[in-house]
Amino acid sequence: MTLPSTNKYTGFAMMALITLILFSSAAFATEKSIDDRVNEIAYHLMCPVCQGQSVAESNSNLANDIRMIIKKQLEEGKTNQEVLDYFVKRYGDSILSSPPTKGINWLLWIMPGVAVALGAVGIALFLHKSKRPEGDVESIPAEPGEESESEYLKKVDEELKKYE
Amino acid sequence: MKIVNSIIKFGVLAAIITILAVLGYALFGDRDLTKTSPLIGKEAPGFTIKLYDGKRITSEELKGKTVLLNFWASWCTPCRQEAPALEEAWQKYKDRDVVFLGVNVWDDNENAMTYMKKFGGEYPHGIDPEEEIQVNFGIGGVPETYFIDETGKIRDKYNGPLTRDIIDYYLERAMKPEEQTS
Repeated sequence: MTLPSTNKYTGFAMMALITLILFSSAAFATEKSIDDRVNEIAYHLMCPVCQGQSVAESNSNLANDIRMIIKKQLEEGKTNQEVLDYFVKRYGDSILSSPPTKGINWLLWIMPGVAVALGAVGIALFLHKSKRPEGDVESIPAEPGEESESEYLKKVDEELKKYE
Repeated sequence: MKIVNSIIKFGVLAAIITILAVLGYALFGDRDLTKTSPLIGKEAPGFTIKLYDGKRITSEELKGKTVLLNFWASWCTPCRQEAPALEEAWQKYKDRDVVFLGVNVWDDNENAMTYMKKFGGEYPHGIDPEEEIQVNFGIGGVPETYFIDETGKIRDKYNGPLTRDIIDYYLERAMKPEEQTS
């Protein structure tokens, strides 16, 4: 009599165990390793002695030192932001690959948009000015040569009509 | 049409004035931008240097003294250029509670020892065994030199080879109370 209920409980326990395993493995999968976090931070830092390379991309001695310090600080339990702040404190905002929108830096973010807007306005004004109103075509005075030519053609037309 | 032309002229003038104002602010407005290091005016990072004579020296032991902290490497040509000026200045300041400390970075030990014999002078040199001091001080290359006052505060940083005049200028500043130099 007790066998079916035991099977039922065993089934529930198995289901719970499988669910637990699935969730915990999913949790482990989303948690980033220290090395991944080192790379992530290194991409946010520009190598101070390189030309346009991030710390992640550079093989310079300084970039190696910086990566080593990032790893050490992450192992000590610091957050990504705390590590970035450590470098900003020593090298200034210029070490960040994306300068923060504060102080004069906000210009870096808005200037491209302003430049595009000003360019668009300039082009619109140019096109507006260069577009000739249709009525104006006839009002343009003809060159002196053209005027005499049209009079001559009129006379030719009149003479031809006489012979029709 | 006349009004449109006036608006355009006014707009162009306003844009030119704005650009000039922004450039002026960038050049002269925020003095922090012209500093050679954001650490200037702040407490110097703590350090322990392992000297080439086997002793160790810590930043705590240097409190109460003016410190010239010079970063160098044996492969660095400007470091060789500044070496005579550093040694001359050391001879001048060594009896005035001033400490000169050379820190070798990004180098091979054997090359560093050869360099030391030729250019090292008489003041102490060493390395950070943890290889962190160069990043803690925000070094971007060599030679770079920090001037630290007796309270342990960074007063100035100089990038590039030093001369006697430059050393005198910054050391005298670091030896004076801060309010007299700002």
